[in-house]
Amino acid sequence: MNRIHYLGESWKHLILILGSMIVILPFYVMVSFSLKSPGQIERNEGGFFGTENSMVDERCVKLREPDRNAIAAARDRFEGLDDTQIYRALLAEIETDCSMHPIVYNYSKAFSEAPLLRYLMNGVIVTVSIFVIQVIVALPCAYALAKLRFRGRGFVFGMVIFCLLIPVHAIALPLYIMLAKVGLTNTYAALIIPWTISVFGIFLMRQFFMTVPDDLIDAARMDGMSEFWIVWKVMLPTAIPALLAFAIFSVVAHWNDYFWPRIVVTGNRDLFTPPLGLREFKGDADGSFFGPMMATATIIVMPLIVAFLLAQRRFIEGITLSGMK
Amino acid sequence: MAPRSTGYWFTAPALTLMAIILLLPVLIAAGLSFTDYSLGNQSANWVGAENYEKIVSRSTYQKMFTASIIYVLVVVPVSVVLGLGAALLINSLSFGGDLYKTIFFLPVMAALLAMAIVWEFALHNSVGIVNEMFQAGCGTIIEWVFNWGWIPFVDGSQTWYGRNCASQEFPLWLRDRNYALATICFIGIWQAFGFNMVLYLAGLTSIPRELLQAAEMDGAKSAWERFRLVIWPMLGPTTVFVVTITSIRSFQVFDTIEALTQGGPSKSTYVMMYAIYEKAIQQNLMGIGAAITIVFLGFVLVITFMQRYLVERRVHYS
Repeated sequence: MNRIHYLGESWKHLILILGSMIVILPFYVMVSFSLKSPGQIERNEGGFFGTENSMVDERCVKLREPDRNAIAAARDRFEGLDDTQIYRALLAEIETDCSMHPIVYNYSKAFSEAPLLRYLMNGVIVTVSIFVIQVIVALPCAYALAKLRFRGRGFVFGMVIFCLLIPVHAIALPLYIMLAKVGLTNTYAALIIPWTISVFGIFLMRQFFMTVPDDLIDAARMDGMSEFWIVWKVMLPTAIPALLAFAIFSVVAHWNDYFWPRIVVTGNRDLFTPPLGLREFKGDADGSFFGPMMATATIIVMPLIVAFLLAQRRFIEGITLSGMK
Repeated sequence: MAPRSTGYWFTAPALTLMAIILLLPVLIAAGLSFTDYSLGNQSANWVGAENYEKIVSRSTYQKMFTASIIYVLVVVPVSVVLGLGAALLINSLSFGGDLYKTIFFLPVMAALLAMAIVWEFALHNSVGIVNEMFQAGCGTIIEWVFNWGWIPFVDGSQTWYGRNCASQEFPLWLRDRNYALATICFIGIWQAFGFNMVLYLAGLTSIPRELLQAAEMDGAKSAWERFRLVIWPMLGPTTVFVVTITSIRSFQVFDTIEALTQGGPSKSTYVMMYAIYEKAIQQNLMGIGAAITIVFLGFVLVITFMQRYLVERRVHYS
């Protein structure tokens, strides 16, 4: 019985393994290219890790190519050699100087060719600011909608529901015009402002607050706590699980976002977010830069992938949050 | 009891931001779509419905609608079916399911722009691994399987794989007008189906076991019968949601297009979001960009209302 059962299951594994191979293929290519030398990438050899232990950085050699003065200066070091031989000897020295392990080459180039560290920092600044402001705006509103009585509450909630229909990417153009009119394009503000209001966050937190018992709030009021502090000291702690899921949802979306930064940041590299930086890299890359570019891609993609692998359940919860309405 | 004004204080920031960031832009777009505004000009001329007429009549925009609609009509059904299929397979496994789930979800987490660039490398004609694998498969059992020649009445040498193997030439994918949109669709499906799978897995766990057992006792012996009579109807709400969100997202496809094809070759991948970007941001033709924005919002509204209608009808019946 059991054997038949496993036999019946093996065709499922076969299909799923084939599917997994296609899904993993680009990740495989990305990481593999970031480990190999340009030559091995070009010739498609070396397997996953590459087999060369050192490679020569052609650009580095070219930049330091010995000229007349260098040869003249090196004459006493190489006594008895003519100029061509000295040139060759110097070149050989430079080549050993410029050779390194392909991994070192790719990853150091990723950081030195473009200010990747700056891009990563920008990514962190933008995603964290967006999330913090979203919470500051959404939490009091969600609390008011769930627990306070006031005239117009129905109207506000209606607005929230209506605004859920509008994808921010779709109205990027008028938003861009508005920001341009007030002179805010090419600033951090432009990257952050359109996302400060998350109607989805308000909706989500309101649903969550509905389940918090009124007694908890009444007790806090009895203790003389103001409404402001009730939101931040009573409601916020109860909402941590929901907030965590929302944080994952928000951070993943904005770390990976390419469309909006592409529109409001033009040319000013200091404001580039990681995807913009990678795109720029692709724009002026030639063949020998496949390795460093893939190293950049790996560095950009890995933080979220690693976080996901460490806390899968939470991530799946967070990302599919929008499906749990 | 809290003072009544607290409610206003707490909702005022959110309400203000909603008005400025979400509602006002829609009105601005609607207004500008009737003008020939461009950034830097002090004023704009009222051109009536000219922009919309252009959208309807010019062949560029017809290609735009064709590309967008084909993209949505391919990516949505395929990624939903694959998501459902993967969920059903994974759910029926006795071991290993979690591993596949993790793998299929990876593309959802990765920055699409980065992965698009990686796909470009994988599909590259000289360093690309995809064409190399196709080539390596020629003349082996792989060709025999995938030229479908083993199916009766199919001539293996005339199928796609068979012909390409015979000529030793494989497509340039993103540079070929006949393949570019299909390739972009493929990347879209690759990225989206894991998300759908996870939603379906959640939907599957909410189907009560007793219901399946009852169906079995009532004569639904085969897996297909149980799927048709119990699982599929029970997954209805999930399906409605999955289809809606995938449609809205597919309409918004941009990253892959901008990084890989820029709408080409010969406008075959000129989707709406890219058209807005190219016309308005790059060429400073705000009027036409605004008109496309409004049409775009129209599509999104239609999809969402269809979802609401379907959801409500279901609630009514059950």
